[in-house]
Amino acid sequence: MTEPTRYADRPEWSDVLPVEQYENANPLAPIFYTNEYKDATNYFRGIIKTGEKSQRVLELTEHIIRLNPAHYTAWQYRYETLLAIDSNLEDELQLMDELAITHLKTYQVWHHRRLLMLKIRKPAAELVFIAKTFKVDAKNYHTWSYRQWLLAYFNDDELWGGELDFVEDLLYADIRNNSAWHHRFFTVFQSGVHDGEENRERVLKRELIYVKQSISLVPNNASAWNYIRGILEHHSIPYSRVTTFVQPYTLSMDEQTADLVDLDNPPPSKGAHLPCAFAIEFFADIYEAEGGDSMLKATELWKSLGNEYDIARKKYWEHRIREGLRAIQT
Amino acid sequence: MSHEKDLLLVPLHVSYIQNLGKACFLQHNKNDLMYHLTAHLRMNAIYWGLTALCTMGHPEALARDEMIDYVMSCWDEEAGGFGAHPDHDAHILSTLSAIQILVTQDAIEKLDIDRVVKFILSLQQPSGVFAGDSFGEIDTRFSYIAVNALSLLGRLEDLDVDKTVNYIVQCRNFDGGFGSRVGAESHAGQVFVCCAALTILDRLDVIDTPTLSWWLAERQLPNGGLNGRPEKLEDVCYSFWVLSSLSMLKKLHYIDSDKLTSFILSAQDPEGGGIADRPGDMPDVFHTHFGVAGLSLLGYPGLVDIDPVFCMPAALIEKKGLRKGWQALERRTGYEKSSATVENVLESEHAT
Repeated sequence: MTEPTRYADRPEWSDVLPVEQYENANPLAPIFYTNEYKDATNYFRGIIKTGEKSQRVLELTEHIIRLNPAHYTAWQYRYETLLAIDSNLEDELQLMDELAITHLKTYQVWHHRRLLMLKIRKPAAELVFIAKTFKVDAKNYHTWSYRQWLLAYFNDDELWGGELDFVEDLLYADIRNNSAWHHRFFTVFQSGVHDGEENRERVLKRELIYVKQSISLVPNNASAWNYIRGILEHHSIPYSRVTTFVQPYTLSMDEQTADLVDLDNPPPSKGAHLPCAFAIEFFADIYEAEGGDSMLKATELWKSLGNEYDIARKKYWEHRIREGLRAIQT
Repeated sequence: MSHEKDLLLVPLHVSYIQNLGKACFLQHNKNDLMYHLTAHLRMNAIYWGLTALCTMGHPEALARDEMIDYVMSCWDEEAGGFGAHPDHDAHILSTLSAIQILVTQDAIEKLDIDRVVKFILSLQQPSGVFAGDSFGEIDTRFSYIAVNALSLLGRLEDLDVDKTVNYIVQCRNFDGGFGSRVGAESHAGQVFVCCAALTILDRLDVIDTPTLSWWLAERQLPNGGLNGRPEKLEDVCYSFWVLSSLSMLKKLHYIDSDKLTSFILSAQDPEGGGIADRPGDMPDVFHTHFGVAGLSLLGYPGLVDIDPVFCMPAALIEKKGLRKGWQALERRTGYEKSSATVENVLESEHAT
């Protein structure tokens, strides 16, 4: 592939004085350029000096950010130029779609979209775009935080209303997507009360059933157990409330007894890997909260975790045992 | 596992960092695209390199005067802060790195402290969070950077502490962790910056320590490495962020230190030096710095103490009267493996 014509060789840029990158006598960290990048950034520095805001500046900044999406001054100047020459910002957003997918992990790409959205103010379409990028990287931290900002900023109940299905789709693709679980908690419990969610008792019940069913399908999922803990703590409900549900998950497949299909206590599905370490830990926390004789039962469970079911965290379980025994003595 | 990766290859890593610095003095154009694509990280890179050298006991390995000249050449006179590279606009990230470099090199008198303080404070938003620059990116990372920088400059009293803390509190999630902004998912890097900021501001009371400590302990994977959030890959840099957070929460013994040490060592490049994000990948100065920092907190023999709150030489921070209460594993004298127990965990006294 041939290199594009340098700005230095283009007659329509001949009125601009390019400015070389500052290079002192003995810089500790000078920059080595390819000719293309050097040429483009020389001309960029040239138009910054004159303060030019024009269509060709858009062309130049696009060239630079395609080569180096982390060049935040180029992004900043591009945004100012778009406003100065009254560009169609929706066209800009669409142009950025391609860059977003190629440079998902670059913060500037998302911040630029945020600035555009503050002007365009059409969040619904943007949510659709974000969902598309998740097909490429379902856990991208910048993207998720951008989505959360978008929803909170526009605070439109219709938009919020679509989030549960959206999370559902992502969890269907990967039940262990922690970002999706976090987003669900944020949407349901930490962003105010949305239309149709006014009955908080019903919402709580729905979420408990949801996470229990998820655990039933795939018990060994840290995110789901963090979620159920989060729900209970958020509502100041003691962990013991779900004792009946958790108990079967602390046993092996052979020890399962539940026959009835109980919506409140969905049992481990066939093929589940049991016993589940997260369940054992949860059960131990229930015993610990009871105190007294139950504390000894908790230490037994912690021992089993440190020795068998969660060996990676042996040190942590030994600490819990020590603390537990100390609590009995006092 | 090859024998050479059971030890920290200090001389190799020192020369790796020196080579990164030396490459700058070659006059002919190396046509290295990657080098300029990382221009926006240049100031940070020098801080990472310098601090890694300090931790390995070789602070003199990079030329002091040239380094200070470079830092000062990045001063953005208009903004009153430092950019990542000459002619780059001032940013809070490069400003902190510049301050850290100057403090480490004992050259803080070069700074116009009033102007830098003004620049930093100007970045605080009405919500209490800090922006990185006029572009407007906000992140709890920048809150930490502001708190760290003001503390190093002895101007913490200029900060609206309650306002700063209140925003961080709003970033506290249901799993005990912290995100980059309100509503964002818990992430080990963000947990570090929030813990460190709260430590400096003496507001660890807002942390749900049992829950967060457990969340941090859960970052350790069977291979010994640490990840940044559930179901993500291990990465050497989390060795520092997770470890230093646990250090501040006084729960360092939650981590299997032998396994983590082995993991960090296995990510070394035994040919060219440097440490990578995980075994087999290309090394870089970022992971070299955080890998060595993690090993220092784990008591690896021969290394110099690092302050986990400021991520700078501990002796320096102590001398400035900024040392907070945190834990480190006792420095081992031999290279035999040892287990972290509650007994060999050292706790520093809170500076009065």
